[in-house]
Amino acid sequence: MNGTPWWRDRRVLPWLLQAGVGLAVLVVVAWLMTNLVRNLSAAGLLLSWRWLGQPAGFDLSETLLPFNASMSYGRALLAGLLNTLRVIVFALVGSSLLGLLVGMAAFSRNGLLRGLARVYVELVRNVPLLLQLLFWYFVVFLALPDGAAALGWPALVLAKSGLYIAGFADGRWQLPQLLASGWQAPVHLSVEFAALLTGLITYIGAFIAEVVRGGIASVPAGQWEAASSLGLHGAAILRHIVLPQALRVIVPGLTNQYISLAKASSLALACGFTDLYSVAETTLNQTGRAVEVVLVLLAAYLAIDLLISAAMNGLNRLVQVRER
Amino acid sequence: MRKRSAPSPIAFAAAAASPLKRLQRQLAPSAADALLSLGLVALILWAALQLLGWAMGRADWAVVQLNSMLLLVGRYPLAEQWRLWLLALLLALQAGLSWGLLRAWPRADRREQARLWPRHDRIAGLLLALLALLLPFALHLAGPLQWRWWLLAAVLLAGRWAAGRWGQQLPRRALKLVAVLWPLLYLLGFWLIGGGLGLAAVSPGDWGGLLLTLLMASFAMALSFPLGVLLALGRRSSLPLLRWGSVAYIEFIRGAPLITLLFVGQNILGFLLPGGASPDRIWRAAWVLTLFAAAYLAEAVRSGLAAVPPGQLEAARSLGLSQPQSMVLVVIPQALRVALPAMVGQFIALLQDTTLLSLIGLLDLLGTARGIMANPEFLGHSSELYLVLAVLYWGCCASLGLGSRALERRLDPRSVASRR
Amino acid sequence: MAAPMNPPSPCRSDVMIQAEAVEKWYPNGFQALRGASLTVNRGEVVVIMGPSGSGKSTFIRTFNALEDFQKGSITVDGIALSNDVRNIDAIRREVGMVFQQFNLFPHLTVLENLTLAPVLVRKRPRAEVELQARALLERVGIAEQAEKFPGQLSGGQQQRVAIARALCMEPRVLLFDEPTSSLDPEMVREVLDVIQALAADDITMVVVTHEVRFARQVAHRVVLMDQGEVVEEAEPETFFTAPRHERTQRFLEQIL
Repeated sequence: MNGTPWWRDRRVLPWLLQAGVGLAVLVVVAWLMTNLVRNLSAAGLLLSWRWLGQPAGFDLSETLLPFNASMSYGRALLAGLLNTLRVIVFALVGSSLLGLLVGMAAFSRNGLLRGLARVYVELVRNVPLLLQLLFWYFVVFLALPDGAAALGWPALVLAKSGLYIAGFADGRWQLPQLLASGWQAPVHLSVEFAALLTGLITYIGAFIAEVVRGGIASVPAGQWEAASSLGLHGAAILRHIVLPQALRVIVPGLTNQYISLAKASSLALACGFTDLYSVAETTLNQTGRAVEVVLVLLAAYLAIDLLISAAMNGLNRLVQVRER
Repeated sequence: MRKRSAPSPIAFAAAAASPLKRLQRQLAPSAADALLSLGLVALILWAALQLLGWAMGRADWAVVQLNSMLLLVGRYPLAEQWRLWLLALLLALQAGLSWGLLRAWPRADRREQARLWPRHDRIAGLLLALLALLLPFALHLAGPLQWRWWLLAAVLLAGRWAAGRWGQQLPRRALKLVAVLWPLLYLLGFWLIGGGLGLAAVSPGDWGGLLLTLLMASFAMALSFPLGVLLALGRRSSLPLLRWGSVAYIEFIRGAPLITLLFVGQNILGFLLPGGASPDRIWRAAWVLTLFAAAYLAEAVRSGLAAVPPGQLEAARSLGLSQPQSMVLVVIPQALRVALPAMVGQFIALLQDTTLLSLIGLLDLLGTARGIMANPEFLGHSSELYLVLAVLYWGCCASLGLGSRALERRLDPRSVASRR
Repeated sequence: MAAPMNPPSPCRSDVMIQAEAVEKWYPNGFQALRGASLTVNRGEVVVIMGPSGSGKSTFIRTFNALEDFQKGSITVDGIALSNDVRNIDAIRREVGMVFQQFNLFPHLTVLENLTLAPVLVRKRPRAEVELQARALLERVGIAEQAEKFPGQLSGGQQQRVAIARALCMEPRVLLFDEPTSSLDPEMVREVLDVIQALAADDITMVVVTHEVRFARQVAHRVVLMDQGEVVEEAEPETFFTAPRHERTQRFLEQIL
């Protein structure tokens, strides 16, 4: 055991390798940081958060949080974050429903329906999301007629000025109605929001459909056979026997899709919707605070990802344990 | 043991029957299904008629015809465009030759006859020829463009035919030559596009359209691949520092939307490097794309590495191969084979992600198209452009997917060690 | 440089493997080997038996440094196993190993499985190695499968390829780690026959196995391991008919 030179000792070599890599990374990071500090101080932009309290000077078109130009940058970013969260929540529900339907349609007895589900998935997954968002906004939603010509059924009206949905207001059920000032309804979504939502739901829905299809396909054939030998039929087998088992495969896949949905929502500016990213971009253009703005952005999306992961992990535990 | 997958219920009804009967089983196994099918057929017909009516009638394809070169290559100088055509010609030839050689040399272990035109190839060749013949007419391309397009298709098919016909007279090693030629052609392509070394330089700022999109995507794919493999190895390493470093990098990149990273690249990279050392906007974006894709690729490769049983490494080591030799020759080839579908999925996503470059002001295919749409001359004709773009992107992505499935078929699934 | 690869002749003796009081702990604190000792002479066939979890696989895996150990010493053909990586490479070149799960490389053809290491590690010319490899495949009875991939062969054929692969490196010792345990019953014989034929050629072998008939016919010595130590060492006849230790008796009762 003695007499081994240290540079050939297999107990030492791993540590040498680690020390080498660690040192290299450290040197590069230190070099970058030195440059950063030098360049920032030369530009007079050393890290500071005071600008967050200054008045923003720009308006946001559509916010949950009341906002106007005299309010601070901090509040603007917060309003953007809330808008992002609103998109994510709506799109998450919508794309899950769509994905579940299309994923189950892949197992329909009806050949036409199966084919259609396949075509939808292949079509949507192979065209960039950004292109689809632009299409929905500029070609579909901005081309909607307005006023009396607006498309609509009693409970839902599609107009160039937005989506009008029936709902409860002043304690009674109200349908959208055309007044002199334009359409009025208890629930009103802007076309920007509607286009973004439509684009995200159709896009992520296709991916979720694949996750669902894969999950159902992972349930052994014997389960279908056993269930039909007990006299159950198509939809009942799917709902009571197959889906509960498929969930164990589906939920982890869903987590990935939800996180990618959260990230995809940052393309909202393609539809002219003011989400966190577009507020941040405007803020950067006005203040020049690149590093701080980027830190805010990264932290916000990281927090959203972690939130989704945590929630889905909880759900995952629920579905996984049920078997035993 | 592979589980049997769920039977699609048609399996029960698959017994031979008259075509009419089969159609009935497919479309109307029950009264409710018949009604549904009827509704769907009506819907599809209506949509198809609407689309056809629009494409033939209201659509004005002048916007595509007038801007076809802009969409393809951006503001690449007219006088130098012969270089691009030359490159396209070489690519078509190489593609045809590779395709033919693969057919001339089926895998040695399979008792397959080398056939000049197997059924799939006949269909693919026919479709290609048809597409090449008709597309210029459909788009009313200008004369010179038309015959160049035909030349490309002809060269590809001729290469395919010649290599399939005479490939077997070359030694088997010729197959490896094909694999070496692709990277060489890629480097040659960069020289032809960018110039230098005797060719007039064309600055990256003048690259645009589909050319820029494909360049960015292929550059990021080529470089993110080795990076991704290294990161995946790091993540599975037993050395804590390497493992945690890789995990931190991968999770950080995967946690952030690409647009924010591109934003970092455009606004902060300049601060991180010594003054004036920051590369051109286009290269900055290319590097961000590469570093971004590497993290996702690493996850795909990691799943592949996990599928290789530890006994493989032990066997290689006990034969006296060193650790790097064992990894490169035994473990990584198997891991990549398992990871292939996931990796191609990432490459497709990467190709789609290049559209985000248009949001930071680069003139990729989408960026160029949006520039055209903003031109008052073409106001109100964005639908035509969107359709053409969708078809182009769809074609690129779908052919990547097709290629990957063909490769998977050639690489036998049995050629990966199974876990017991 | 050359010293560890070709040990000088003074070291050469009739002892091929000398393991003395080897102790090994796993990182979780479990002690797998508790002072196991074994001497294997040149040309000898030693069969190691023992209940599962007795450390017999771990023990022979220490002989080519697939497992490390904390105390004791192992010498293979005059080379003392140390933590020197160059020394480890040298020993692995000289010690062949056949695994329970075959561990053939599924992405390489049978022939490539055999030629990979001799060409890369021994730096021998490919043509020469291929000739030798085909001869070895002939010897284990699967010459006609040379161009196939391992996945296309039966388990017994795969294990015979694995033996040929180990032989192609011209090792001084061959280690077998339960070579027939994952085979279907009808394939066990063909593999044992190959190993038996090798024994007749005076190749030094250490075989971990449960095959009693094989041990009786082929082994020069049979060793019983239990709880990480060598309990009994004897000629096959003595081992199976008149074991000295109570633990051996109990083990034989269970398997016979």
